[in-house]
Amino acid sequence: MKQLFFSAFAGLIALASVHAAEVGAPAPAFTAKDANGKEVSLAALKGKVVVLEWNNFGCPFVVKHYGPGNMQKLQETYTGKGVVWLTVNSANESSGAYLSPAAALEQTAKNSWKGSHYLIDSTGAVGKAYAAKTTPHMFVINKEGVLVYNGALDSKATTKSEDISSSDNYVAKALDATLAGKPVATGKTEPYGCGVKY
Amino acid sequence: MRTFALLAALLPLVTLGAEIHSGHASAELIVSSSTFQPSSPVQAAIRLKVDEGWHTYWINPGEGGMKLGAEWVLPEGWSAGPLGWPVPIRFKTGDLPGFGYVGEVVIPVTLTPPASATKPATLAVKLDWLTCDDKACISGDAAPSVELKPGPVVATPAVPVIEKSSALVPRPLDGFKLEVAEQGKSLLLTVTAPAGIDPSAFATFPATVQVVDASAAIVFSKSDGKWTALAPKSEYLEGPPKALDLVLSGGGLPHPALVSWSKN
Repeated sequence: MKQLFFSAFAGLIALASVHAAEVGAPAPAFTAKDANGKEVSLAALKGKVVVLEWNNFGCPFVVKHYGPGNMQKLQETYTGKGVVWLTVNSANESSGAYLSPAAALEQTAKNSWKGSHYLIDSTGAVGKAYAAKTTPHMFVINKEGVLVYNGALDSKATTKSEDISSSDNYVAKALDATLAGKPVATGKTEPYGCGVKY
Repeated sequence: MRTFALLAALLPLVTLGAEIHSGHASAELIVSSSTFQPSSPVQAAIRLKVDEGWHTYWINPGEGGMKLGAEWVLPEGWSAGPLGWPVPIRFKTGDLPGFGYVGEVVIPVTLTPPASATKPATLAVKLDWLTCDDKACISGDAAPSVELKPGPVVATPAVPVIEKSSALVPRPLDGFKLEVAEQGKSLLLTVTAPAGIDPSAFATFPATVQVVDASAAIVFSKSDGKWTALAPKSEYLEGPPKALDLVLSGGGLPHPALVSWSKN
Protein backbone atom coordinates (compact mmCIF):
# COMPACT_ATOMS: atom_id res chain seq x y z
CA MET A 1 0.00 0.00 0.00
CA LYS A 2 2.78 2.31 0.98
CA GLN A 3 4.57 1.41 -2.23
CA LEU A 4 1.46 1.97 -4.29
CA PHE A 5 1.00 5.36 -2.70
CA PHE A 6 4.60 6.21 -3.40
CA SER A 7 4.49 5.25 -7.07
CA ALA A 8 1.23 7.13 -7.54
CA PHE A 9 2.89 10.13 -5.96
CA ALA A 10 5.98 9.76 -8.16
CA GLY A 11 3.67 9.56 -11.17
CA LEU A 12 2.04 12.80 -10.14
CA ILE A 13 5.40 14.53 -9.91
CA ALA A 14 6.42 13.21 -13.32
CA LEU A 15 3.13 14.43 -14.75
CA ALA A 16 3.60 17.83 -13.18
CA SER A 17 7.09 18.20 -14.64
CA VAL A 18 6.03 17.09 -18.12
CA HIS A 19 3.34 19.75 -18.15
CA ALA A 20 5.50 22.33 -16.42
CA ALA A 21 5.57 24.94 -19.16
CA GLU A 22 2.72 23.94 -21.42
CA VAL A 23 1.23 26.65 -23.61
CA GLY A 24 -2.34 27.26 -22.47
CA ALA A 25 -1.65 26.15 -18.89
CA PRO A 26 -0.76 28.29 -15.86
CA ALA A 27 2.90 29.36 -16.06
CA PRO A 28 5.05 27.71 -13.36
CA ALA A 29 5.40 29.91 -10.28
CA PHE A 30 8.85 31.12 -9.26
CA THR A 31 10.70 33.55 -7.09
CA ALA A 32 14.21 34.69 -7.96
CA LYS A 33 16.59 37.51 -7.15
CA ASP A 34 17.59 40.07 -9.73
CA ALA A 35 21.06 41.60 -10.19
CA ASN A 36 20.18 44.31 -7.65
CA GLY A 37 19.29 41.71 -5.02
CA LYS A 38 15.57 42.41 -5.35
CA GLU A 39 13.22 39.46 -5.09
CA VAL A 40 10.91 38.97 -8.08
CA SER A 41 7.96 36.60 -7.87
CA LEU A 42 5.72 35.69 -10.77
CA ALA A 43 2.67 35.55 -8.48
CA ALA A 44 3.14 39.23 -7.62
CA LEU A 45 3.04 40.10 -11.34
CA LYS A 46 -0.48 38.80 -11.92
CA GLY A 47 -2.42 41.34 -13.93
CA LYS A 48 0.62 42.13 -16.08
CA VAL A 49 1.89 40.54 -19.26
CA VAL A 50 5.30 38.99 -18.53
CA VAL A 51 8.13 38.04 -20.90
CA LEU A 52 10.87 35.59 -19.91
CA GLU A 53 14.06 35.78 -21.97
CA TRP A 54 16.87 33.28 -21.32
CA ASN A 55 20.21 34.98 -21.67
CA ASN A 56 23.97 34.58 -21.98
CA PHE A 57 25.53 37.71 -23.43
CA GLY A 58 28.46 35.66 -24.77
CA CYS A 59 26.35 33.36 -26.98
CA PRO A 60 26.49 34.24 -30.71
CA PHE A 61 22.70 33.84 -31.05
CA VAL A 62 22.23 36.38 -28.25
CA VAL A 63 24.86 38.67 -29.78
CA LYS A 64 22.89 38.45 -33.06
CA HIS A 65 19.98 40.23 -31.35
CA TYR A 66 21.85 42.49 -28.89
CA GLY A 67 24.52 43.61 -31.36
CA PRO A 68 22.21 45.64 -33.61
CA GLY A 69 19.88 46.54 -30.70
CA ASN A 70 17.01 44.25 -31.74
CA MET A 71 16.42 42.74 -28.28
CA GLN A 72 16.77 46.10 -26.54
CA LYS A 73 14.26 47.66 -28.92
CA LEU A 74 11.73 44.92 -28.11
CA GLN A 75 12.39 45.41 -24.38
CA GLU A 76 11.93 49.17 -24.67
CA THR A 77 8.82 48.93 -26.86
CA TYR A 78 6.97 46.41 -24.73
CA THR A 79 7.97 47.61 -21.26
CA GLY A 80 6.65 50.94 -22.56
CA LYS A 81 3.30 49.17 -22.98
CA GLY A 82 3.30 47.86 -19.41
CA VAL A 83 4.92 44.48 -20.08
CA VAL A 84 7.29 43.17 -17.39
CA TRP A 85 10.39 41.83 -19.18
CA LEU A 86 12.41 39.35 -17.13
CA THR A 87 15.78 38.36 -18.55
CA VAL A 88 17.00 35.17 -16.89
CA ASN A 89 20.51 33.77 -16.65
CA SER A 90 20.34 30.12 -15.50
CA ALA A 91 24.02 29.32 -16.05
CA ASN A 92 25.61 27.25 -13.30
CA GLU A 93 28.21 29.04 -11.17
CA SER A 94 30.90 26.79 -12.61
CA SER A 95 30.04 27.88 -16.17
CA GLY A 96 31.73 30.72 -18.01
CA ALA A 97 28.25 32.06 -18.77
CA TYR A 98 27.46 32.61 -15.05
CA LEU A 99 27.18 36.21 -13.98
CA SER A 100 27.52 37.36 -10.38
CA PRO A 101 25.15 40.21 -9.48
CA ALA A 102 27.98 42.73 -9.97
CA ALA A 103 28.99 41.21 -13.31
CA ALA A 104 25.33 41.14 -14.39
CA LEU A 105 24.99 44.86 -13.66
CA GLU A 106 28.14 45.52 -15.66
CA GLN A 107 27.02 43.36 -18.61
CA THR A 108 23.48 44.75 -18.73
CA ALA A 109 24.90 48.29 -18.77
CA LYS A 110 27.47 47.39 -21.43
CA ASN A 111 24.77 45.81 -23.63
CA SER A 112 22.30 48.70 -23.11
CA TRP A 113 19.85 46.10 -21.83
CA LYS A 114 16.37 47.55 -21.31
CA GLY A 115 14.44 44.78 -19.55
CA SER A 116 12.67 45.12 -16.20
CA HIS A 117 14.77 42.69 -14.12
CA TYR A 118 17.87 40.60 -14.81
CA LEU A 119 17.30 37.42 -12.80
CA ILE A 120 20.20 35.33 -11.60
CA ASP A 121 19.04 31.72 -11.47
CA SER A 122 22.33 29.89 -10.98
CA THR A 123 20.58 26.89 -9.37
CA GLY A 124 18.64 26.55 -12.64
CA ALA A 125 15.34 26.26 -10.72
CA VAL A 126 13.47 28.74 -12.91
CA GLY A 127 15.06 27.47 -16.11
CA LYS A 128 14.19 23.87 -15.35
CA ALA A 129 10.62 24.75 -14.31
CA TYR A 130 10.17 26.18 -17.81
CA ALA A 131 12.43 23.62 -19.51
CA ALA A 132 14.37 26.52 -21.02
CA LYS A 133 16.73 24.97 -23.55
CA THR A 134 18.62 27.72 -25.29
CA THR A 135 19.80 31.30 -25.10
CA PRO A 136 17.71 32.98 -26.21
CA HIS A 137 14.55 31.01 -25.33
CA MET A 138 11.43 33.14 -24.98
CA PHE A 139 8.19 32.78 -23.02
CA VAL A 140 5.15 35.06 -22.83
CA ILE A 141 2.70 34.90 -19.92
CA ASN A 142 -0.64 36.71 -20.10
CA LYS A 143 -2.33 38.84 -17.43
CA GLU A 144 -4.10 35.78 -16.00
CA GLY A 145 -0.77 34.00 -15.49
CA VAL A 146 -1.28 31.59 -18.40
CA LEU A 147 1.66 30.70 -20.65
CA VAL A 148 0.78 31.83 -24.17
CA TYR A 149 4.11 31.51 -25.98
CA ASN A 150 7.10 29.16 -25.66
CA GLY A 151 9.88 29.19 -28.26
CA ALA A 152 12.26 31.12 -30.44
CA LEU A 153 12.48 34.90 -30.65
CA ASP A 154 12.02 34.75 -34.41
CA SER A 155 11.87 32.46 -37.41
CA LYS A 156 15.49 32.34 -38.62
CA ALA A 157 17.75 30.03 -36.62
CA THR A 158 21.02 31.73 -37.53
CA THR A 159 23.67 33.88 -35.87
CA LYS A 160 23.49 36.56 -38.57
CA SER A 161 22.05 39.94 -37.56
CA GLU A 162 21.23 40.70 -41.20
CA ASP A 163 18.59 37.94 -41.05
CA ILE A 164 16.53 39.81 -38.44
CA SER A 165 14.74 42.14 -40.86
CA SER A 166 13.46 39.23 -42.97
CA SER A 167 12.41 37.12 -39.96
CA ASP A 168 9.01 36.61 -38.46
CA ASN A 169 9.21 37.88 -34.86
CA TYR A 170 7.09 35.38 -32.92
CA VAL A 171 7.49 37.18 -29.59
CA ALA A 172 6.38 40.58 -30.91
CA LYS A 173 3.35 38.90 -32.50
CA ALA A 174 2.51 37.01 -29.30
CA LEU A 175 2.83 40.21 -27.27
CA ASP A 176 0.75 42.29 -29.69
CA ALA A 177 -2.01 39.69 -29.65
CA THR A 178 -1.90 39.25 -25.86
CA LEU A 179 -1.95 43.00 -25.19
CA ALA A 180 -4.94 43.29 -27.53
CA GLY A 181 -6.70 40.49 -25.62
CA LYS A 182 -6.53 38.18 -28.64
CA PRO A 183 -5.31 34.59 -28.82
CA VAL A 184 -1.72 33.96 -29.92
CA ALA A 185 -1.64 32.37 -33.39
CA THR A 186 1.76 30.67 -33.02
CA GLY A 187 2.11 29.56 -29.40
CA LYS A 188 4.97 27.11 -29.70
CA THR A 189 8.10 27.04 -31.84
CA GLU A 190 11.47 25.38 -31.53
CA PRO A 191 13.89 27.70 -29.75
CA TYR A 192 17.33 28.19 -31.26
CA GLY A 193 20.59 29.20 -29.68
CA CYS A 194 23.33 27.99 -27.36
CA GLY A 195 22.59 25.73 -24.41
CA VAL A 196 21.53 27.32 -21.11
CA LYS A 197 24.62 25.91 -19.26
CA TYR A 198 22.79 24.45 -16.26
CA MET B 1 65.69 35.71 -57.56
CA ARG B 2 65.23 33.35 -54.63
CA THR B 3 62.20 35.32 -53.57
CA PHE B 4 60.79 34.93 -57.04
CA ALA B 5 61.24 31.15 -56.98
CA LEU B 6 59.57 30.99 -53.60
CA LEU B 7 56.67 33.08 -54.82
CA ALA B 8 56.30 30.95 -57.91
CA ALA B 9 56.20 27.85 -55.72
CA LEU B 10 53.50 29.39 -53.56
CA LEU B 11 51.42 30.69 -56.42
CA PRO B 12 49.51 27.50 -57.29
CA LEU B 13 48.47 27.21 -53.65
CA VAL B 14 47.17 30.73 -53.65
CA THR B 15 45.09 30.35 -56.80
CA LEU B 16 43.71 27.02 -55.62
CA GLY B 17 42.45 28.56 -52.45
CA ALA B 18 43.64 28.42 -48.89
CA GLU B 19 42.34 27.58 -45.47
CA ILE B 20 40.67 30.41 -43.61
CA HIS B 21 40.35 30.05 -39.84
CA SER B 22 37.41 31.61 -38.03
CA GLY B 23 35.64 30.72 -34.79
CA HIS B 24 36.91 27.23 -34.01
CA ALA B 25 37.26 25.85 -37.54
CA SER B 26 39.00 26.57 -40.80
CA ALA B 27 37.39 26.36 -44.22
CA GLU B 28 38.71 25.78 -47.70
CA LEU B 29 37.20 25.27 -51.13
CA ILE B 30 38.93 22.42 -52.97
CA VAL B 31 38.54 21.42 -56.63
CA SER B 32 39.49 18.33 -58.61
CA SER B 33 40.82 20.33 -61.57
CA SER B 34 42.50 23.71 -61.80
CA THR B 35 40.80 24.18 -65.16
CA PHE B 36 37.35 23.83 -66.64
CA GLN B 37 35.67 23.15 -69.95
CA PRO B 38 32.34 24.68 -70.96
CA SER B 39 29.28 22.72 -69.69
CA SER B 40 31.50 20.15 -68.02
CA PRO B 41 30.88 19.77 -64.26
CA VAL B 42 33.82 20.36 -61.94
CA GLN B 43 33.94 18.22 -58.80
CA ALA B 44 34.65 20.38 -55.77
CA ALA B 45 34.22 20.25 -52.01
CA ILE B 46 34.01 22.46 -48.97
CA ARG B 47 36.59 21.25 -46.49
CA LEU B 48 36.03 22.26 -42.90
CA LYS B 49 38.55 21.44 -40.20
CA VAL B 50 37.05 21.77 -36.75
CA ASP B 51 39.48 22.51 -33.92
CA GLU B 52 40.05 19.71 -31.45
CA GLY B 53 37.50 19.65 -28.63
CA TRP B 54 34.86 21.49 -30.71
CA HIS B 55 32.06 20.32 -32.97
CA THR B 56 29.95 21.79 -35.75
CA TYR B 57 26.50 20.86 -37.06
CA TRP B 58 24.69 18.75 -39.66
CA ILE B 59 21.60 19.75 -41.74
CA ASN B 60 19.54 18.58 -38.77
CA PRO B 61 21.50 20.19 -35.94
CA GLY B 62 19.32 18.63 -33.23
CA GLU B 63 18.38 20.98 -30.40
CA GLY B 64 20.21 24.31 -30.43
CA GLY B 65 23.17 24.48 -32.78
CA MET B 66 23.06 25.62 -36.38
CA LYS B 67 23.78 24.00 -39.70
CA LEU B 68 26.56 25.30 -41.88
CA GLY B 69 25.30 28.06 -44.15
CA ALA B 70 26.67 28.21 -47.70
CA GLU B 71 25.91 30.86 -50.28
CA TRP B 72 27.67 30.57 -53.65
CA VAL B 73 29.20 33.51 -55.44
CA LEU B 74 29.73 32.29 -58.99
CA PRO B 75 30.27 33.93 -62.38
CA GLU B 76 27.20 34.31 -64.53
CA GLY B 77 25.84 31.04 -65.87
CA TRP B 78 27.70 28.82 -63.37
CA SER B 79 25.63 26.66 -61.04
CA ALA B 80 26.29 24.74 -57.84
CA GLY B 81 24.64 21.38 -57.09
CA PRO B 82 23.41 20.30 -53.65
CA LEU B 83 25.92 19.90 -50.82
CA GLY B 84 26.81 16.27 -50.10
CA TRP B 85 26.56 16.12 -46.33
CA PRO B 86 28.52 13.20 -44.85
CA VAL B 87 27.02 10.93 -42.19
CA PRO B 88 27.09 12.86 -38.89
CA ILE B 89 27.78 11.73 -35.36
CA ARG B 90 25.60 12.23 -32.29
CA PHE B 91 26.79 14.35 -29.40
CA LYS B 92 25.52 16.37 -26.49
CA THR B 93 26.30 20.02 -25.93
CA GLY B 94 25.56 20.34 -22.23
CA ASP B 95 21.99 18.97 -22.09
CA LEU B 96 21.21 19.49 -25.76
CA PRO B 97 21.30 16.51 -28.13
CA GLY B 98 22.85 17.30 -31.49
CA PHE B 99 24.09 15.92 -34.80
CA GLY B 100 27.25 17.05 -36.48
CA TYR B 101 30.94 16.67 -36.99
CA VAL B 102 34.29 16.76 -35.26
CA GLY B 103 37.68 16.98 -36.96
CA GLU B 104 37.74 17.20 -40.74
CA VAL B 105 34.48 17.37 -42.71
CA VAL B 106 34.53 17.24 -46.51
CA ILE B 107 31.27 18.25 -48.21
CA PRO B 108 31.40 17.50 -51.94
CA VAL B 109 29.56 19.63 -54.46
CA THR B 110 29.42 19.85 -58.26
CA LEU B 111 30.03 23.20 -59.94
CA THR B 112 28.95 23.48 -63.55
CA PRO B 113 30.05 26.18 -66.00
CA PRO B 114 27.75 27.37 -68.76
CA ALA B 115 28.35 26.42 -72.42
CA SER B 116 29.53 29.94 -73.05
CA ALA B 117 32.23 29.97 -70.35
CA THR B 118 35.60 30.86 -71.85
CA LYS B 119 37.16 33.24 -69.33
CA PRO B 120 38.99 32.41 -66.08
CA ALA B 121 36.40 32.02 -63.34
CA THR B 122 36.58 32.86 -59.66
CA LEU B 123 34.34 30.52 -57.68
CA ALA B 124 33.59 31.48 -54.11
CA VAL B 125 31.31 30.36 -51.32
CA LYS B 126 30.26 32.44 -48.33
CA LEU B 127 30.17 30.10 -45.35
CA ASP B 128 29.01 30.59 -41.82
CA TRP B 129 29.07 27.99 -39.11
CA LEU B 130 28.73 27.44 -35.41
CA THR B 131 31.30 25.58 -33.35
CA CYS B 132 30.49 24.57 -29.79
CA ASP B 133 32.00 22.67 -26.91
CA ASP B 134 30.34 22.15 -23.53
CA LYS B 135 31.28 25.59 -22.33
CA ALA B 136 30.69 27.89 -25.27
CA CYS B 137 29.51 28.33 -28.83
CA ILE B 138 31.51 30.46 -31.24
CA SER B 139 30.39 31.33 -34.74
CA GLY B 140 32.75 31.51 -37.67
CA ASP B 141 32.57 32.68 -41.24
CA ALA B 142 34.78 32.65 -44.31
CA ALA B 143 34.46 33.07 -48.05
CA PRO B 144 37.01 30.68 -49.55
CA SER B 145 37.47 30.87 -53.30
CA VAL B 146 39.33 29.23 -56.16
CA GLU B 147 40.24 30.49 -59.59
CA LEU B 148 39.87 28.13 -62.54
CA LYS B 149 41.26 28.70 -66.01
CA PRO B 150 39.62 27.44 -69.17
CA GLY B 151 41.30 24.37 -70.67
CA PRO B 152 41.59 20.59 -70.55
CA VAL B 153 41.46 18.89 -67.14
CA VAL B 154 44.50 19.40 -64.91
CA ALA B 155 44.02 17.21 -61.86
CA THR B 156 44.86 18.67 -58.46
CA PRO B 157 46.11 16.86 -55.34
CA ALA B 158 42.55 17.18 -53.96
CA VAL B 159 41.17 14.53 -56.35
CA PRO B 160 41.42 11.56 -53.94
CA VAL B 161 39.96 13.61 -51.07
CA ILE B 162 36.95 14.63 -53.15
CA GLU B 163 36.44 11.13 -54.58
CA LYS B 164 36.57 9.54 -51.15
CA SER B 165 34.11 12.05 -49.68
CA SER B 166 31.73 11.66 -52.63
CA ALA B 167 31.62 7.90 -52.13
CA LEU B 168 30.60 8.48 -48.50
CA VAL B 169 27.67 10.81 -49.17
CA PRO B 170 24.43 9.06 -48.19
CA ARG B 171 22.38 8.21 -51.27
CA PRO B 172 19.33 6.08 -52.09
CA LEU B 173 19.82 2.33 -52.30
CA ASP B 174 17.73 0.03 -54.51
CA GLY B 175 15.28 -2.10 -52.56
CA PHE B 176 15.45 0.09 -49.48
CA LYS B 177 12.16 1.52 -48.21
CA LEU B 178 10.84 3.40 -45.20
CA GLU B 179 7.30 3.55 -43.84
CA VAL B 180 6.24 5.84 -41.02
CA ALA B 181 3.12 5.39 -38.87
CA GLU B 182 1.95 7.28 -35.81
CA GLN B 183 1.75 5.36 -32.57
CA GLY B 184 0.66 7.71 -29.80
CA LYS B 185 3.55 10.01 -28.94
CA SER B 186 5.93 7.96 -31.05
CA LEU B 187 6.50 7.13 -34.68
CA LEU B 188 6.78 3.54 -35.80
CA LEU B 189 9.49 3.35 -38.44
CA THR B 190 9.51 0.27 -40.65
CA VAL B 191 12.36 -0.39 -43.07
CA THR B 192 12.49 -2.89 -45.89
CA ALA B 193 16.13 -3.66 -46.52
CA PRO B 194 17.82 -5.52 -49.37
CA ALA B 195 19.08 -9.04 -48.60
CA GLY B 196 22.25 -9.28 -46.54
CA ILE B 197 21.63 -6.02 -44.71
CA ASP B 198 21.31 -6.03 -40.92
CA PRO B 199 19.21 -3.02 -39.82
CA SER B 200 19.84 -3.81 -36.13
CA ALA B 201 23.43 -2.66 -36.69
CA PHE B 202 22.54 0.65 -38.38
CA ALA B 203 23.63 4.00 -37.09
CA THR B 204 20.48 6.00 -37.88
CA PHE B 205 20.02 9.76 -38.07
CA PRO B 206 16.89 11.83 -38.82
CA ALA B 207 17.84 14.28 -41.59
CA THR B 208 14.46 16.02 -41.45
CA VAL B 209 14.13 18.50 -38.59
CA GLN B 210 11.29 18.56 -36.06
CA VAL B 211 9.92 15.06 -36.74
CA VAL B 212 11.84 12.72 -34.42
CA ASP B 213 13.09 13.64 -30.94
CA ALA B 214 16.80 14.35 -31.42
CA SER B 215 17.72 12.80 -28.07
CA ALA B 216 16.37 9.35 -28.91
CA ALA B 217 18.52 6.64 -30.46
CA ILE B 218 16.76 4.93 -33.37
CA VAL B 219 17.31 1.19 -33.08
CA PHE B 220 15.72 -1.32 -35.45
CA SER B 221 14.72 -4.79 -34.34
CA LYS B 222 12.96 -7.59 -36.11
CA SER B 223 9.49 -8.75 -35.18
CA ASP B 224 6.91 -10.59 -37.30
CA GLY B 225 9.39 -10.53 -40.15
CA LYS B 226 9.60 -6.74 -40.15
CA TRP B 227 12.37 -4.37 -39.15
CA THR B 228 10.88 -1.66 -36.96
CA ALA B 229 12.03 1.08 -34.62
CA LEU B 230 9.92 3.16 -32.30
CA ALA B 231 11.07 6.77 -32.20
CA PRO B 232 9.52 9.42 -29.94
CA LYS B 233 8.06 12.36 -31.86
CA SER B 234 9.77 15.71 -31.73
CA GLU B 235 7.84 18.01 -29.40
CA TYR B 236 7.87 20.48 -32.31
CA LEU B 237 6.06 18.18 -34.74
CA GLU B 238 2.67 19.70 -35.49
CA GLY B 239 -0.01 17.24 -36.48
CA PRO B 240 0.80 13.99 -38.28
CA PRO B 241 4.27 13.68 -39.88
CA LYS B 242 4.41 14.59 -43.57
CA ALA B 243 7.89 13.48 -44.55
CA LEU B 244 11.00 11.95 -43.05
CA ASP B 245 14.47 11.38 -44.46
CA LEU B 246 16.73 8.99 -42.58
CA VAL B 247 20.46 8.62 -43.05
CA LEU B 248 21.80 5.18 -42.20
CA SER B 249 25.22 3.62 -42.17
CA GLY B 250 26.74 0.30 -41.14
CA GLY B 251 24.80 -2.97 -40.97
CA GLY B 252 26.41 -4.22 -44.17
CA LEU B 253 25.24 -1.31 -46.34
CA PRO B 254 27.51 -0.91 -49.40
CA HIS B 255 27.52 2.85 -48.77
CA PRO B 256 25.74 5.24 -46.40
CA ALA B 257 22.10 5.27 -47.42
CA LEU B 258 19.40 7.90 -47.60
CA VAL B 259 15.88 6.61 -47.32
CA SER B 260 12.90 8.93 -47.72
CA TRP B 261 9.29 8.65 -46.72
CA SER B 262 6.51 11.07 -47.45
CA LYS B 263 2.81 10.93 -46.85
CA ASN B 264 1.52 9.89 -50.27
